[in-house]
Amino acid sequence: MRATAGTPDSRVHLRTFALDRKLLAIGVGGGVLSGLLGVGGGIVMVPLLVLWAGYAQRDAHAISLGAIIPISVAGIATYGVAGEVRWWYALGLAAGSIVGARIGAGFLARIDERLLKVVFGTFLLAVAVLLGARG
Amino acid sequence: MSGPTLYVVLVAFGVVVGVASGLLGVGGGTLVVPFLTLAVGLTQHQAEATSLLVILPTAIAGSLALRRRGVGDLGLALRFGVVGAVGSVLGALLALALPGSTLRLVFAIFVGLVGLRLARDGLRGEEGAEA
Repeated sequence: MRATAGTPDSRVHLRTFALDRKLLAIGVGGGVLSGLLGVGGGIVMVPLLVLWAGYAQRDAHAISLGAIIPISVAGIATYGVAGEVRWWYALGLAAGSIVGARIGAGFLARIDERLLKVVFGTFLLAVAVLLGARG
Repeated sequence: MSGPTLYVVLVAFGVVVGVASGLLGVGGGTLVVPFLTLAVGLTQHQAEATSLLVILPTAIAGSLALRRRGVGDLGLALRFGVVGAVGSVLGALLALALPGSTLRLVFAIFVGLVGLRLARDGLRGEEGAEA
């Protein structure tokens, strides 16, 4: 079941096996960012997949999300060997986060996305300043 | 914070993270890392390592949900991710080689850029909006 081919508005060209040079570069770049900063990497992979590699937004999102699985496993292993992973903290956060994702999906239809982006973006800027000040 | 209180706070904050990432596609590590350093008191390295372990189950759950709906190509995504895993090991090794304060500053810049982009997207909205 990997049906996207029929959608009329999509710019999709899902190659079944080949990973071309653009995908390689995006994958490695997203991976470095993920390992360096402890994030998923989707924040750079999704826009690059859309704007540079020509994927439709929805497919870019799906590919990025799937890619985060091996990417995060490799990062966890590397940090794990160094003894930096706090397993029980992660378990608590992950338990809440899976519940939260379902709640969030339910909100999607009836929310002002623009306002939310402005509010959340401003909040992240404040977090950045706070982190910088503590650094 | 310690013991049960800490655990309740962790789960509650996890819910916030899940809602944010469900709504904006942002919010995994961007929120978890600052929370773990500023509120829980982990080092930057511990926070980043732990954040990746929060992201993993979320990515698995999300990918399975998308596959059920026939969106994307999980096989391609995983192969793509294996390439990314090479980068991820390099990134983590680089992080481990950096002092915590430097790493925190790099992270702060990253969060600031993400915040700017979100705010900008939200403010100019209209012409880019699909719905």
